[in-house]
Amino acid sequence: MSTQRLNSTMIIGLGLTGLGLAAVVASFGINLDHDGGWGARTFPLVGSATLVVLGVLEMLKGRAMQPVPTNTQETSEANPLARIITLLILSFAYLWLIGKIGYLISTGLAAVAALMVFGIRNPLGLTLAAILCPLVYHLIFFVLLGVFPPYGEWFEPLDIIQGY
Amino acid sequence: MEIFAALSVVLTDPLILMWVFLAAIVGMIVGAIPGLTASAAIAMLLPVTFYMQPLAALAFLYVIGKSGRYGGSIAAILFNTPGTAASAATQIDGYPLSKRGMSSKAMKVATISSVIGDFIGEILLIAGIAVIAAIALKLGPPELFAVYFAAFVVIGSVIGKSITRGLASAALGVLIKMVGLDPISSEERFTFGSFDLTNGISLVPLMIGIFVLGEVFSQLEARGQKIEQFDDSQTEDAKAKNQLSWSEYKPCLPHALRSSFIGAFIGMLPGLGSAIAAFVAYGEGKRRAKTPETWGKGALEGIAAPEAANNAVSGPSMAPLLTLGIPGSTIGAILVGVFLIHGIQIGPTLFLTQKELVYQLFACGLVGILAYGVIGYFGASYVGRFILKIPTDVMYPIIFLTSFVAAYSSRGNLFDVLVMAIAGFGGWLMKRYDFNPAAFVISFVLAGGAEETFRQSLLLSDHGALIFFTRPVAFGFLLLGVVAVVARARSLNKQAKAASLNDA
Repeated sequence: MSTQRLNSTMIIGLGLTGLGLAAVVASFGINLDHDGGWGARTFPLVGSATLVVLGVLEMLKGRAMQPVPTNTQETSEANPLARIITLLILSFAYLWLIGKIGYLISTGLAAVAALMVFGIRNPLGLTLAAILCPLVYHLIFFVLLGVFPPYGEWFEPLDIIQGY
Repeated sequence: MEIFAALSVVLTDPLILMWVFLAAIVGMIVGAIPGLTASAAIAMLLPVTFYMQPLAALAFLYVIGKSGRYGGSIAAILFNTPGTAASAATQIDGYPLSKRGMSSKAMKVATISSVIGDFIGEILLIAGIAVIAAIALKLGPPELFAVYFAAFVVIGSVIGKSITRGLASAALGVLIKMVGLDPISSEERFTFGSFDLTNGISLVPLMIGIFVLGEVFSQLEARGQKIEQFDDSQTEDAKAKNQLSWSEYKPCLPHALRSSFIGAFIGMLPGLGSAIAAFVAYGEGKRRAKTPETWGKGALEGIAAPEAANNAVSGPSMAPLLTLGIPGSTIGAILVGVFLIHGIQIGPTLFLTQKELVYQLFACGLVGILAYGVIGYFGASYVGRFILKIPTDVMYPIIFLTSFVAAYSSRGNLFDVLVMAIAGFGGWLMKRYDFNPAAFVISFVLAGGAEETFRQSLLLSDHGALIFFTRPVAFGFLLLGVVAVVARARSLNKQAKAASLNDA
């Protein structure tokens, strides 16, 4: 029996097929039209089935490929990947914080964290970013453009500065 | 003749002129920053334009797109890093000239050729769009669906390294568009009981995520790569070497003109875009060149050909968008958002309802070409030096924060910010694994219209889906889609075989 390792093409194919099958199942969950027609179901089903077919093709392509030996580049890529995951976590944390403590404080915190992810360590620069970023965004988007700001569920600094 | 009336309106409105000049500068800078594209800038600035007058908003973003395409050549020539995918062809001959201390001369050739290409593309658009719109008005739902089908397939299969992943990107775009209520029966689709999902996924946060936040992830991954620049010496001898004379540009002119028509033709076809136009024009230019052996080693013609083609795409790529509602490029897809937010229905009827606006937009395009041409001819090397001074480790975190505020501003909804964050990570994954983010977004924009015309066609038909095969125009477009995939598969197979022979 062959012991062929899964290469990235096969994994992508597997992912696409899985996603497509899940979408096929979800498509069958869409109610039929009042006259019993498939109108609302047709496009989602065609899109999902296309994804399944393309996933299978990708898997077949992966099977036909020569296994690629692990090289040193993969180990050197570990660091960027850690940074990417950190930035992804920061994205969701920033979004969650906006909902809880409003955008002013959360933007100040996110500015410092984002700069640190990009390697900035200068304390003066980080402090300035924590103050200037919320201030500039507040002035441009919420004062000049008149966008209604997101309110914090736990605490809202805009209540203190009274809409300025 | 509408264009002359439109030009007189635009040229006498200082506010519009200010936006056009600002767009020319912003586009040039953004296009020249390696990694940042005009699409990213437009997506980020999109929510700001919601608060502007329709013409100012459209002109601002349209000219950023034009100027951004040109700006890519600055990075390609000065830093050996193409600012956009389309300027990679310019890099082949531009960078060798830079290494010889002739970057200013290379930039001048790139500027003149870009302006020629862009003007030709824009004039062809102005001259031909009314005819295309008149033809488009005669197309029924089956023909329109077939056009959509061809667009999905061409966009998915022609761009990128992998047909399957390109088509999968297009299919994913269609599926994401299906989230929400069915526009005809109001049945919930892929909502999984979430109230937020019943409104569907909004285009603006999706685009900000894919093009802006996705790029921040990519830049974080590529962090630390050093940019090399060969600056021109300031001696009298060096200055004389960088002067561009007519006798030097004269051999470039036929290449610029031919490539402009190549670019304009490719621009009209949905999804192909500037990068393909630039490389086709480069290949054709080299084939016809008197001294092809000098191409790749710093030939001025090798800069003129791809630059003219790359910029000639800009105008004609608006033709499918304005006449059929089919965006021919990512910039076109983003402009759909501007039209929608200002309540303007794009498609064949646009020329009946908003004719003045459309021609005024074209007039702004002409003024914008002139603006970036003048700024670029005299100031491209200054722009290059300015970009090197921008600390990217500070710029990308600021872009990261701006993407969040911009996504929120589009509808004042935190769910949109969540969509943007997920799309950002998804956009990075797509780029990393050779999927096609442009095909994903364009398909997302096309899916609504495609579904509508498909269902209308079935209502018109007595024989179900056979209606698409019995109407010649519809059948022709369906066939075009299939031929595009087969041709692309054959060309990729040939490339793979050639590569394996070279390895052997």
